Amino acid sequence: MKRPNRRQLATLLGYAGAAAIYITIGVLTTDFLLSVFVAAAFLFLMVWLVPMIVRRIV
Amino acid sequence: MSWAAHDLEPYAIQKHSRLKIAFVPLLLGSYAPDLMSKWYVYGIHLGPWKLKASDPAQFHRGWPGLGFTHSFLYGIVICLIFWKVLGSKNWGVSFLIGQWAHALTDTGDTVGTMLLFPWTHHFSIGAWAYAGQTGRNTDAAAYFSGLGSMWDLVWIVYGFYAWQVLTRSYFEQRVFTADGLWPKLNRFVPITALLVFYRAAFFYGTSRWIAWTIWAHVVHHYPYDLSWGGPHWVHAAHS
Repeated sequence: MKRPNRRQLATLLGYAGAAAIYITIGVLTTDFLLSVFVAAAFLFLMVWLVPMIVRRIV
Repeated sequence: MSWAAHDLEPYAIQKHSRLKIAFVPLLLGSYAPDLMSKWYVYGIHLGPWKLKASDPAQFHRGWPGLGFTHSFLYGIVICLIFWKVLGSKNWGVSFLIGQWAHALTDTGDTVGTMLLFPWTHHFSIGAWAYAGQTGRNTDAAAYFSGLGSMWDLVWIVYGFYAWQVLTRSYFEQRVFTADGLWPKLNRFVPITALLVFYRAAFFYGTSRWIAWTIWAHVVHHYPYDLSWGGPHWVHAAHS
């Protein structure tokens, strides 16, 4: 089995962080878990939009 | 019914299919059988009114009802619409494969599916309890306590084992090039953002599997019952 490189691991870490937040919100409010569209929007926000805004600011 | 399997199976199908598969209609096909019916199975509130099927299992999987959406014929009809009316054989075949995967996966529960509709016989192996009629939360608790959740787990583990399917290079070489929709979207949306949407169903399936499992077993302490047809603490519907 091929191992991921450092860049891929960093990407995985970002998604894992987003998943941790999504899961926490979902356990507290299960309605949050009901739609793939909500999940996709949340993921887009967490791993693409917010990091892009932060990069532009910093 | 299955939960996360419908989010995750398309990644494995896409990876192993020798056909040129378009991922978006494949995923759409995987979701399609429940798109029109799930809300009415659990019921929704519209102001003072509650809309809910009087017999959720019958409505969801039976005839009369929307059970035909879980048949091979339904996939063929939508495939032909994509192919002959909208002019995309690739979208039609990809939808067909995703929809058939859904219909076959749902034979795992105690109600099963009318695979060969208009023949209304339900094909079912009865591995896990169908509890849609008990409401969303009890259904979730039951599903994530039985073999259905283990079936989902197989796909999660497989997804991490075949992790290359989620990489940017795989997306660019295999997914992006297999469907004209992606280049069209790429005129307005960067490829890094498209990649996020490609990964979203895997993120959703895996994350909600973990969240519902924590909700059912850490927050609410529902007992696991991995016996065939379980969990037996819930009243399962049968065909």
